[in-house]
Amino acid sequence: MTHDPIYSHLRELSWRRKLSNAEEAELRNWLAAHPEAEADWQAEAGLNAGLGRLADVPVPSNFTARVLQAVEREAVADLRRPQGKWLTWLWLRWLPKAAFAAVIVGVGLLSFHQVQAAHRKKLVESVAAVSAVSSLPGSDILRDFDAIRALNPTPAPDEQLLAVLQ
Amino acid sequence: MLLVKQGDAAAFTELVEKYKQPVMNVAYRMLHDAMEAEDLAQAVFVQVFKSAHRYQVSSKFSTWLFTIARNLCLNEIRRRTRHRAESIEAPHPEQEDQPLRQFEDKQTASPPERLLHGELKAKIEEALAELPENQRLAIVLCRQEELSYEEIARVLGCSVSAIKSLIHRGRETLKEKLKPYLRSGAWGAPE
Repeated sequence: MTHDPIYSHLRELSWRRKLSNAEEAELRNWLAAHPEAEADWQAEAGLNAGLGRLADVPVPSNFTARVLQAVEREAVADLRRPQGKWLTWLWLRWLPKAAFAAVIVGVGLLSFHQVQAAHRKKLVESVAAVSAVSSLPGSDILRDFDAIRALNPTPAPDEQLLAVLQ
Repeated sequence: MLLVKQGDAAAFTELVEKYKQPVMNVAYRMLHDAMEAEDLAQAVFVQVFKSAHRYQVSSKFSTWLFTIARNLCLNEIRRRTRHRAESIEAPHPEQEDQPLRQFEDKQTASPPERLLHGELKAKIEEALAELPENQRLAIVLCRQEELSYEEIARVLGCSVSAIKSLIHRGRETLKEKLKPYLRSGAWGAPE
């Protein structure tokens, strides 16, 4: 078998249809220059002829009428069971998706609810802790708060004493 | 097809008339059972009518039609594989030496010639039947002059180079199996 582009092209054309006179002449010229491909071409041509001779499969004379009847039957059947068909379509196509979406939404809502409940519980606990304190000091204790705060709470280090200690 | 999309029954009848033969040929060569091929061809046209609204005007009708035929053929072949159903006309193990069904030869005249060509055709049908499905379909569609390699590629869902490779491999197998007949020149020159 040859991979020559001219031969390959003509051979591929011959697979689909009879070569035109010009193509046939081109092939003959090419084969004259490449006699080693003659046997391959003979086999190709023989197979083309064989495939070309395959008979058409007989089609019954009432084939078209039967197709039209079948189409009519289908149309009537579709009209008779539109709801059933719609439900089947819905069941097969959308119900699984809808169920999956519902599960996701349900899990989301449940999680949100639980987070909210936990938050509320913490709040209640902290309020209870505050209310458990029996007495708080009166507001008088805070009267001089700012003045006391402004005072330097730690005296300056006694440098001399530190030196003696060392 | 545009008229069929609008529900024109006459246009649909015309389409069926035009394409029933090529669809039957493809179905028979894929299924090797005349009755099943007939039922399948009918199903193909019913499907065409039902799916007419989905037909894209940009694609060629025959490409779309043979794509439907191919899908239904493959479904049927898969169903057979699953159920291991044997049709009445399919060769039974004890009949494996018998040729596949032959159809009337309208191209040859004399009885001896018919006999010879009948035998040769049976051999070709047998060799074709033994090819893998995609190679067989590519070769059968290749004989539909209406379809280009690009269109055959679209029907089979692969590239043009892949189609040519499939056809080439299929034909190599056929040439190998039919070597004695090809050598004898019994089929003569290409028509």
